[in-house]
Amino acid sequence: METSWSLHLLSEILSAFSTDDPDNLRNAVNRVTEAVDAEVGAIFDRDGITCCIGLSPREGARLVELADARPAEVQIRSGTLHTCWATIGKEQLVVGRLGDPFDVEERSLLRAMARSIELSIGLLRAISAERHARDEAHHDATHDALTGLPNRRLVLEGLNQALAREPQGQMQQVVLFIDIDRFKIVNDAHGHAAGDQLLINVARMLRESVRESDLVGRLSGDEFIVISQTATVGAATDLAQRIIEAIRRPIVVAGTELSHSASIGIAFGETGQEAHALLENADIAMYQAKSRGRGHWAIFQESMRAEARERLYLEGELRHAIENGEIESFYQPIYRLSDRSLVGFEALARWRHRQLGLLPPSAFIPQAEASEVIVHIDLEVLNQAAGAMARWQRIDGLADLRLSSNLSARTLNEARLQQRIAGILDSSELAPGSLYLEITETMLVDDIQSTTATINGLRDLGVRLAIDDFGTGYSSLLYLKRFPVGVLKIDHSFVDGLVTNPEDEMIAGAIISLAKALGLEVVAEGVETEDQRRIVARLGSDFGQGYLFGRPQGQKETLRLIEDYASSRRHHSHA
Amino acid sequence: MSESMGSSTTDSPRRWVRVGSSTLPDSQAALAEALQGIAGPTQPKLVVLLASPHYDLAAVAAGLRDGLPDGTAVIGCTTSGEIADAGSLRQSLVLWALGGEGISVATGMGQGDGQGLRQAATQAAYCLERLPQREHTVLLLLADGLCGDQMDVVRGAYDVASLDVPLVGGCAGDDLAMKRTSQILGDRVLTQAVVAAAISSEAPLGIGVSHGWKTASPPMLVTGSKGNVLASLDDRPALDVYLEFFDPPEPVRHDAAAFAAFAACHPIGVRRRDKIEMRHVSGADFLNRQLLTVAEVPQGGLAFLTEGDVDSVLEAAEESFKLAIGGLEGAPPVGLLLFDCVSRRSIFDASNLHEETDLIAATSGGVPMAGFYTYGEIARTKGAGGFHNQTLVTLAIS
Repeated sequence: METSWSLHLLSEILSAFSTDDPDNLRNAVNRVTEAVDAEVGAIFDRDGITCCIGLSPREGARLVELADARPAEVQIRSGTLHTCWATIGKEQLVVGRLGDPFDVEERSLLRAMARSIELSIGLLRAISAERHARDEAHHDATHDALTGLPNRRLVLEGLNQALAREPQGQMQQVVLFIDIDRFKIVNDAHGHAAGDQLLINVARMLRESVRESDLVGRLSGDEFIVISQTATVGAATDLAQRIIEAIRRPIVVAGTELSHSASIGIAFGETGQEAHALLENADIAMYQAKSRGRGHWAIFQESMRAEARERLYLEGELRHAIENGEIESFYQPIYRLSDRSLVGFEALARWRHRQLGLLPPSAFIPQAEASEVIVHIDLEVLNQAAGAMARWQRIDGLADLRLSSNLSARTLNEARLQQRIAGILDSSELAPGSLYLEITETMLVDDIQSTTATINGLRDLGVRLAIDDFGTGYSSLLYLKRFPVGVLKIDHSFVDGLVTNPEDEMIAGAIISLAKALGLEVVAEGVETEDQRRIVARLGSDFGQGYLFGRPQGQKETLRLIEDYASSRRHHSHA
Repeated sequence: MSESMGSSTTDSPRRWVRVGSSTLPDSQAALAEALQGIAGPTQPKLVVLLASPHYDLAAVAAGLRDGLPDGTAVIGCTTSGEIADAGSLRQSLVLWALGGEGISVATGMGQGDGQGLRQAATQAAYCLERLPQREHTVLLLLADGLCGDQMDVVRGAYDVASLDVPLVGGCAGDDLAMKRTSQILGDRVLTQAVVAAAISSEAPLGIGVSHGWKTASPPMLVTGSKGNVLASLDDRPALDVYLEFFDPPEPVRHDAAAFAAFAACHPIGVRRRDKIEMRHVSGADFLNRQLLTVAEVPQGGLAFLTEGDVDSVLEAAEESFKLAIGGLEGAPPVGLLLFDCVSRRSIFDASNLHEETDLIAATSGGVPMAGFYTYGEIARTKGAGGFHNQTLVTLAIS
């Protein structure tokens, strides 16, 4: 015997719910209404109609008003609407039919349908909550929490997929490896919250700079990635330039304007290439870009890989050298030109390599400057020299000897530089006033904002600054007024040309008189001949340094020089 | 134009219908011939174009734009056979024109996609809001029958039309190729779309629907079904159940074309409150042993395998016509528009194909009539549903 029609229509309703269908409720209302040949079906709550078919919104609203009374008949424009009401959780279902009233079977069917909709909705909510939690977990596992960008895992996944596809036409996969210049300094100087703001801003800039089809990700810390497709090298470098310019725009974080820049390495992929290999290429190119200064891009070339390997090797060797005490301080004397008296020494790094012997700075300093190793070298040299100088100053009549020691850009940007130098002064018992820290003029001018804080910190210690290699122009001189600079060192390239090139003499003369006007002492570097000495003295330079006066020497030889000098001074004064 | 394809002239000065048709193979020539047939006493308000898919539809639509006065709305679609005064046609072009002061028309369209036509039907139905409404209104819908669940066309249109406006129409065909159908609005040729004409009249409009199929099998539970795929009946593969029951000739068991021809006269019936609703079986998935239907056979429902014959189909045609005329409240009809399921046509052979249309022509007293063989019919007069299969839907204008 055929079972009741209503049972089957009820089971249709139960079957109709699908977790994939965003229009579940509307479809359910359609099915319920069609099942009993009704014209009107609606679900509503106290706030209004959720879904209604068969009536205009105005007539539908009237049904809501009648919800408490639940009348069996409602008069509408088209005639008498027989109604049947049922509860779905906090909502109500009403079905209306012109013509026949609902019989008992239909009324019980509609109640059962309402109940099944309620159960289905509950189940769907539970399912979608679970799905949502799963999706969220997946999102968390594949996205960076701070910026919301895909993380390394997803970037590698996306890049692998992109590299597996055959490129369309002339298009080629390109990876841009973006590194925020000196991010660590911003983080240390302004706090992690400011660093986070900066990263969020960079993420936004990157998203705005790329096409929708491009992938932007954050690999770690201040390293970002853009995966794109370009037809030409020019299009890729244009994109890199656009990103550099977008990131360069200053942002205000906690009332401070942060100016920053990014270096970008560009690498082009080939079908079938491994994603991590392509990323590595872009990383190597980024390194190259950084070596060109801040805010540059570079395109990966195979030769860079060898350089990178060499650099990594050397970096490792240097770390080893520092740990094993192979880095030594040498000392080059500085004399007052007017009376040829010894005023102090410049400390210079040497590497006493276990196989290669003594290496000059040119053999390792440029490489060391590309990494944090330089900070260790600078501080190691300063530490040795400060100790030596404190001892030398105790020699009779030499209490005023000064020490000049070099700070590279990275060291100057080292977050705890002030404390570390204070520590060195403390342990060596060297008077801060006799220490001159040499920095280059570009370091000073390049990033005045962040340098100012560091330099003010050093001034508070009582140490002074010497500007090394000065000579590219005296516009920078104006900056000098803002800092506790005591000494200007004229670059040896100027001194070289003094005898043969009258223009050099003019420029050097102008720089020296301006320095004098600012109350600075001037050291002429690279003085090798008597002619040069005479000219720099005539131009007003206070001090001279160079082979004419003495080469850099180790501690023992320097001590001998000092003792000889002291004894000749004593002899001279006695005589 | 031959005498048998000539225009009909049952006339009412305030409301009139003309039908023109042509079997000429050339698009322009066929259009020119059909246009002659619809020359009426006044400018037509609406022309419905029903054309075999072999015609250059863009050219026909452009020709209609140029050949009809400004202000005449045009909708249309491709077919799997046409109906005109002369009876059942193949490879022809038919125009059904409606005019007169007592008629108002507004047209609309909605573009769907492979996923379905609900939203498209809703958009098309908004033409109702541009229509100066008279006492009697109907929304005529022509939809792409190869696109999603066709129940959604009715649901989408009903969202706008609501219970006050009956829906009538059919799904475009493509001569049973089941690949691509076209819909026409003005001079635009669309696919995966719904086109609509809202017709309002000062006189009653009648709609009739009937199928004539009879249940052949015991009832079966629909145990697996989603969208247009009927996977299992009573927990067994639906295709196996179907073939076992009907035991058709060998080619039907593995040849797609042979199966489609057989299935056309053996639809699935779905138990509803007080009737059995037909679902046309459009094909089979021989690999997965599933049946493909043009509209959902809902999971959880009760289904029957059904069959029909010439007599039952003819009875249903008469019934559909009578129901439509009954809706005219005693007013005489001035024209008919028919939506006849393509599967009904396969019940007949060449010798008796004319019987269904002859029967209607004779019963109506020869009022102008046109129509087409569809992939699904729409007739909503009561209840919220109104998508049908295997039926003849008749729209009568008085």
